[in-house]
Amino acid sequence: MISRQFILQLLAYGIANGALYGLGAIGLSLVYGIMGYLNIAHGVFVMLGAYASFYFFRVWGVDPFLSLPLTAFSLFIFGSILYLLLFARLVRLPEVDKVKMSLLLTFGLLVILPNAATFLWTADTRSVTTAYAGKTLQLGSIYIPYVDLATVILAVLVISAFRFLLTKTYFGKSIRAVRSQADAAALSGVGVNRIYMISFGIGTALAAAAGAVVSMKGFNPLIGFSWTNKALVVVILAGMGSINGIFAGGFLLGVVESLGVLFVGSMYKDVVGLVLFVLILILRPQGLFGVKRAA
Amino acid sequence: MNASLKKKTLSILILAGILSLLPMLTSQGYILTLMFNLFLYMTLSQSWNILGGYAGQVNVGFAVLFGTGAMITRFLWIGGIPFLAAYLIGGIFTLILGLFIGAITFLLKGPYFSIATLAMAMIARITIGNVFPRASSLPPSLLKTFTLVHCYYLSLITALAAFVVIYWVTRSRIGFGMKALREDEEGASALGVSPFRMKMTAACISSFFGGLAGGMYSYFYGSFYWHSPFDLIWCFEPILITFIGGAGTILGPVVGSLFFVCIEELFVLTAGEIGVVIFGIAFILIVLFLPQGVVGAVQERFGDPLKRGLGIGGFFRKNLHLGKGGQHG
Repeated sequence: MISRQFILQLLAYGIANGALYGLGAIGLSLVYGIMGYLNIAHGVFVMLGAYASFYFFRVWGVDPFLSLPLTAFSLFIFGSILYLLLFARLVRLPEVDKVKMSLLLTFGLLVILPNAATFLWTADTRSVTTAYAGKTLQLGSIYIPYVDLATVILAVLVISAFRFLLTKTYFGKSIRAVRSQADAAALSGVGVNRIYMISFGIGTALAAAAGAVVSMKGFNPLIGFSWTNKALVVVILAGMGSINGIFAGGFLLGVVESLGVLFVGSMYKDVVGLVLFVLILILRPQGLFGVKRAA
Repeated sequence: MNASLKKKTLSILILAGILSLLPMLTSQGYILTLMFNLFLYMTLSQSWNILGGYAGQVNVGFAVLFGTGAMITRFLWIGGIPFLAAYLIGGIFTLILGLFIGAITFLLKGPYFSIATLAMAMIARITIGNVFPRASSLPPSLLKTFTLVHCYYLSLITALAAFVVIYWVTRSRIGFGMKALREDEEGASALGVSPFRMKMTAACISSFFGGLAGGMYSYFYGSFYWHSPFDLIWCFEPILITFIGGAGTILGPVVGSLFFVCIEELFVLTAGEIGVVIFGIAFILIVLFLPQGVVGAVQERFGDPLKRGLGIGGFFRKNLHLGKGGQHG
């Protein structure tokens, strides 16, 4: 018998997970939805973020939430270097070729980075155990772990800040200007490569936000694959380049996964999300909240 | 043209003859195993090549086909059906599954097709891992019949068959249709090439030989986890191998497999991960600087009378001017 309380608990769990998925996807939304690079290695950046948090915790004992600026900065540098090495040369390609080439290049990264991580840090599953790790907040009849609560708050902060950056600042406008016409943007005084390097770096750094939370939930070098899929699901659900959709897409995926567990069991949690993904791709490729673009 | 085709056929026959004598020259298990791996990778990457290299549909979920072939062959074989029959049925079953998946995923174009196939591979991997968590072991009666020489001939014949069939198809009218589709889908369909039919034909051949490669795997390994042939590594290897050798060229998968087996052997004792890392770096460099792969680059420099089309990467190179250093230097 499934009680009302049980379903509420599942929903709370789904919302917390959804916030985490939103965090995991927001960087991909920038890099893919707005810049036009299909990055199937994005989940690997989440994994790297988790390792960075883990080592900051182990060496200096800093809480993953507090060390977030540091981890984000390290990933920012990493992403900028990757951009200069690999993606800078694709900026002026036509849309279709840019997507194809970036798919292949990030496929290479998807092969290289998890294997390098296994070599460097072994395949063991690790996690950061903070003082508040197992503590929960009781709200009526449901329990919410503090980590989940913090995740939701972090997601709201990060995504709002990102939205502000993209829509209200000169920097955000120049990113979109480069996307729609790189040459025209350059003529109006936008440093195309600098802007794109910084935004690719930011996209990578945003993965660190998810990585910090993931570091407290357990991770190993191979989580990158499923995080890539989660991030893609959310971005596709949200619709290309839609930032508001990221919230909705993340929560929808989180809740659908939690409720799906009711019917098919927890070992098929990821499958529920993936099936939803394939269905959305086929039935509504512009996403649930996106606007259909002219081809 | 006809004379050169004859010459090619003759050289393939001579090569096959020499290779088929190998077990009589050496009974060393190490060499036969190495050759088996080489032929397995050749079959694997050649069957990826027809869909990904020639028809331009980058399938990132190849493990679904490989795993299905391995699983069906193993089930039937343990169930008492003679191996060769089980092997062929495994291939045919995979072909049917490939058509079924193709009918769904070919609704999507370009990168969307790729990410959908990746999602399919993960769905299959998780589901199989949950439904069949155990390892599959051969019963002693079947294990007794195992010899490396059988493995060797099985893999040699399959790899040759894949090579010949795909060579023949890609030189036919259908093959030109596939290449046209790869270069420009809308243009090709305006000229009367049906993109969907071309993709399905390529998927047919790809999944049949992909299933056979899986069958080979299940013949060679006395015991494996049911989910191991579904592991994501089987999605990645054919792509890496084909691109490094040269996607959309018939010799590309052969050269790529040779390179792959060498790298694997070099690092197998020290650190397997480093081998994969090196291979991944080689892949990225090839995509950036030699988009037609090693074979394409060699053909461009020294010329090849039978060269057709630009290869999947030629298109990129033409538009990108990325390959300057590599090709005209």
